[in-house]
Amino acid sequence: MKYIAEVDGLEIPVEILDEHHVCFGKEILDVDLAAVSGQPLYSLIVNGESFEGYVYPDERGWQVLLMGRSYSVNIEDEREKRLQTSETDLASPGREFILKAPMPGLAIAVPINEGQRVEKGQILVILESMKMQNELRAPYAGTVARLRIKVGDSVQLKQILLNLVAAFSKAPS
Amino acid sequence: MFKKILIANRGEIAIRILRACRELGIKTVAVYSEADRQALHVRYADEAYLLGPSPARESYLRGDKIIDIARNCAADAVHPGYGFLAERADFAAACEDAGLVFIGPKASSIAAMGDKAVARAMVAKAGVTVVPGTEGEGSLRDDELLAFAPKIGFPLIIKAVSGGGGKGMRDVRNLGEMPDLIQSARREAESSFGDGNVYLERLVEGARHIEFQIMADQFGNVIHLGERECSIQRRHQKLIEESPSPFLADDEPLRQRMGAVAIQAARAVDYANAGTIEFLVDKDRNFYFLEMNTRLQVEHPVTETVTGMDIVAEQIRVAFGWQLSRKQEDIQWRGAAIECRINAEDPYNGFLPSSGRITLTQPPTGPGVRIDTGVYAGFEISPYYDPLISKMIVWGETRPQAVIRMRRALEEYKIVGVRTNIPFHQTMMDTYPFITGKYDTRFVEEQFSMLDAAENRELYLDIAALMATLVAHFQMEHNVQVYGKLGQKSTWKWIGRRMRPNR
Repeated sequence: MKYIAEVDGLEIPVEILDEHHVCFGKEILDVDLAAVSGQPLYSLIVNGESFEGYVYPDERGWQVLLMGRSYSVNIEDEREKRLQTSETDLASPGREFILKAPMPGLAIAVPINEGQRVEKGQILVILESMKMQNELRAPYAGTVARLRIKVGDSVQLKQILLNLVAAFSKAPS
Repeated sequence: MFKKILIANRGEIAIRILRACRELGIKTVAVYSEADRQALHVRYADEAYLLGPSPARESYLRGDKIIDIARNCAADAVHPGYGFLAERADFAAACEDAGLVFIGPKASSIAAMGDKAVARAMVAKAGVTVVPGTEGEGSLRDDELLAFAPKIGFPLIIKAVSGGGGKGMRDVRNLGEMPDLIQSARREAESSFGDGNVYLERLVEGARHIEFQIMADQFGNVIHLGERECSIQRRHQKLIEESPSPFLADDEPLRQRMGAVAIQAARAVDYANAGTIEFLVDKDRNFYFLEMNTRLQVEHPVTETVTGMDIVAEQIRVAFGWQLSRKQEDIQWRGAAIECRINAEDPYNGFLPSSGRITLTQPPTGPGVRIDTGVYAGFEISPYYDPLISKMIVWGETRPQAVIRMRRALEEYKIVGVRTNIPFHQTMMDTYPFITGKYDTRFVEEQFSMLDAAENRELYLDIAALMATLVAHFQMEHNVQVYGKLGQKSTWKWIGRRMRPNR
């Protein structure tokens, strides 16, 4: 199986030859990967060198926490890679941002209204969790399309709080 | 000695107190909320009683229920730990009225020091320098605060009168932004402490936060156990504490002056039991009284580590009515201790709190490492309480050795299930200002960045890429075998969706 791993702008072709051999770039490596106690904590031995790291997927790709540093890795098999590059980027003004609760908590302030125009960085919701007040801000300028919570609501992790439609004047960041 | 003590707290500090009781041969009583039925403190105690639903207001803040439980189970004393009821004079008084010993200072000392404005006025009268502010002005309205602000000068800080732990505090750079900040400080203070009153204080720039641990018995003996450097903070929340302070270092005359002032401040309120005097120290080594915490501090283990004194056991002894076990001249400091607070916060995502079930925890062990924690694999970090997972304290013969040991211990520490700030601490241990001890209270917020600091470290791009590819490959293979064909267009997308709730 052939993949392309992209990390920090670097694209590395990786071919899994069998369970213990990988062609990494142009080099053939002896590898041994083991999940520790069935957790997303992995021990990896590469040509005798031992490493340990967390690996978990999220919206941005695969996250690897290794030696106190976090890496974001995108992995595609060769075919998917080809497909992707032939499509144009769809991100553009008018796209919708959905603000989800990054943690469970209590909405203690919602200083905006539906239909309101907001600036980048403006506070949309203040969520209290673990005794701290967390300000959730607009990632770019836009219009609040749908507001789904009010002050005093308890919200669950990843509950949708509101939709924000990017303004046309400025490219979304 | 006491026969039975009720611990009116949860988490790591409840465990810490339980341990001291156990070593003193005292029976223990835990109280818990519905969310904490399976918490370690409940399992570890000799007796445990349910307080009520998970929110603190309905459980750990229910002083009336706690006192009822203590009387019904025939406890002689109550240890409040820190937070919750620890600095509530009314609770301390209610304990006494119920015939229970409150393990802490007298209600009157808590009341005097608990109102930050009164405390500042009182120690100022005793000749201790305070940071200029609105102390002694009583509760001020918004317009009065705004009128007073230019007299203090900018930048300044709005602080909650009943504050603590960084809540209800806001930095103000100019008058224009002040009204909004007063509102948000009041709102946070109201929801955290049930008291929206605030006061103003000048922001001392380039300042260090250095505090002194004091210990007093009921016979008027007061000693200090040296300082703790607590300048590594974010949003006024301490993240790393150490003793001795690298800023005071060999400046023994300054240490002695500050220690003497700390003792003087404690005497000003007729203090008994453990307490902490917080100071701000400016670049020119002038120091100002900030506030007194009339309770056991989160960071007390660094002092225990360098002095060898068990502060919690000493609290219990002096509360029982014994004299201090040591005199000032018996206190000796050895080596250097550093504490990292391990919080359920994601340092790569604005330090947002992260709740969820801890699926694996593998704490570091070995020479010179101490972990105080209340969690275990399978425990749920709930959004109801603070995000502290554990405190890791290391000791070294010298500060550089302690830093190296902390690096080693942080690398060993594995916690899976929630995001933690361990990478923040690892990065901090590699930054030049921390290593050289040249930092102030603004360092984390104004100069520190996870990315910049990581620049100097060795990159493992190849290994990260290889590890992720192997994990992705074997996981997909496994899923395909287990679940067969699902008719999804992209197996990757499907795996991504399937794995998301497990984050």
